[in-house]
Amino acid sequence: MKVKDVPQDDSFVQPDRDVNLCGRLFALDDDGKYQEVPSAGWSPRNEAVRFAWNSRKEEAGQVREKVLSGKYSPLAFHMARAMMTSGMMAGYTGFSRRNINKFCKPKHFASLDSEALSKLAGALNMSVEELISID
Amino acid sequence: MVLGLGAGIFFCHLPFFKVSGYAMTSFRYISGRIFSDVTKTLGIEYRKHSFKDPDDAMAKLDEVLLGGTPVGLRVGMYNLTYFPKEYRVHFNGHNLCVIGKDGDDYIISDPIGQNKNKLSAADLKKVRYAQGALPPNGSMYYITSTKNCKPLNAGMIEKSIIKTCYNMTHIPLPMFGAKGIAYLARRMRKWEKLFGKRGAALNLAQVIRMLEEIGTGGAGFRFMYAAFLQEASELLSRPGLNQFSMELTAVGDLWRDFSYNAARFFKQRDPEGLTYEDLAVKLEVISARELDIFKRLENSIKHG
Repeated sequence: MKVKDVPQDDSFVQPDRDVNLCGRLFALDDDGKYQEVPSAGWSPRNEAVRFAWNSRKEEAGQVREKVLSGKYSPLAFHMARAMMTSGMMAGYTGFSRRNINKFCKPKHFASLDSEALSKLAGALNMSVEELISID
Repeated sequence: MVLGLGAGIFFCHLPFFKVSGYAMTSFRYISGRIFSDVTKTLGIEYRKHSFKDPDDAMAKLDEVLLGGTPVGLRVGMYNLTYFPKEYRVHFNGHNLCVIGKDGDDYIISDPIGQNKNKLSAADLKKVRYAQGALPPNGSMYYITSTKNCKPLNAGMIEKSIIKTCYNMTHIPLPMFGAKGIAYLARRMRKWEKLFGKRGAALNLAQVIRMLEEIGTGGAGFRFMYAAFLQEASELLSRPGLNQFSMELTAVGDLWRDFSYNAARFFKQRDPEGLTYEDLAVKLEVISARELDIFKRLENSIKHG
């Protein structure tokens, strides 16, 4: 790749502008020598990231429908949205994986006390109120 | 240079080892190996820790920072607050460097950030104890002494190139090395049957992300390694190595062509005139060329 071909397709909003996240590419200059060139992004890569992100939203949407129809608890929706597996959730909260799967059912979710709820909410970076609603 | 000395370039595709739900594809050696190899070759001493208890981990970090040593940390990307939301996936192989403490905030130098930034102690604790595949468990590493440091010489470079060639050509399993790329091509042909249309595209997206996002320097480290070969050719005054560098650059361009075509699967669900078969053929070409390059590279180092 030549230095002039280094792509600069920046398309994601950075929460902290001061950091200025920027990858580095190695590219050939006119004399055939390698140089390090900052690159803000490349559209095929951005497409891949966006595609994965959108399909994750779609999956969470399907789980949301099931929560509304009473098949799953709100926890299942929030886990799908954060791309958490029950194993990861178990690691963050200290519950067993089996229990996390149990809490994904409305009956068991309703019986949780406030301490357990705050543990689950903490692992998902949200408050307890957010955890029990599905907005 | 460091990537080359640590014999960093690699390929493996492991369908049975899942990272956030998709088969693991890696373009470099396991994280931490490059660092340990380079320090060993150059005679730099370092320490490495991981902790069961998060508070111990933070206390040790403070202690080392007070001594004035910057510390490398392996962290999960999901809770890194200064990353764009779209980049924050459950991936536990991101490395960053903590260079100081300011009140309750740590000063961080991120490998892909152009400037320094701050991260609160609570956030840092969270990313150091991220869960998922290969959890970092608060792992940290820092240099303790450079008094036995040896200057770079030709022997070190030759040894590391031979090691790289071994990894790329001689591992007797189909998933590893340059032939692993052909293995990925064979798997790719089955994706649509195994996972359906959307699942196949998601798997492809994962490969592209590993190639371009994790593979620093573009095309899964291929350009970076080519830069190393060019530097080595000057240091060892072997013009032959520069030739290999140019060939590897051409392979890197093929990788980028592959990503460019693959992206059409994400823009529209049914790209006209493009199938997984076409992409697999592209990968097979890359596989054959990389195998050829690394075999000839090994011969040229070993026999003249």
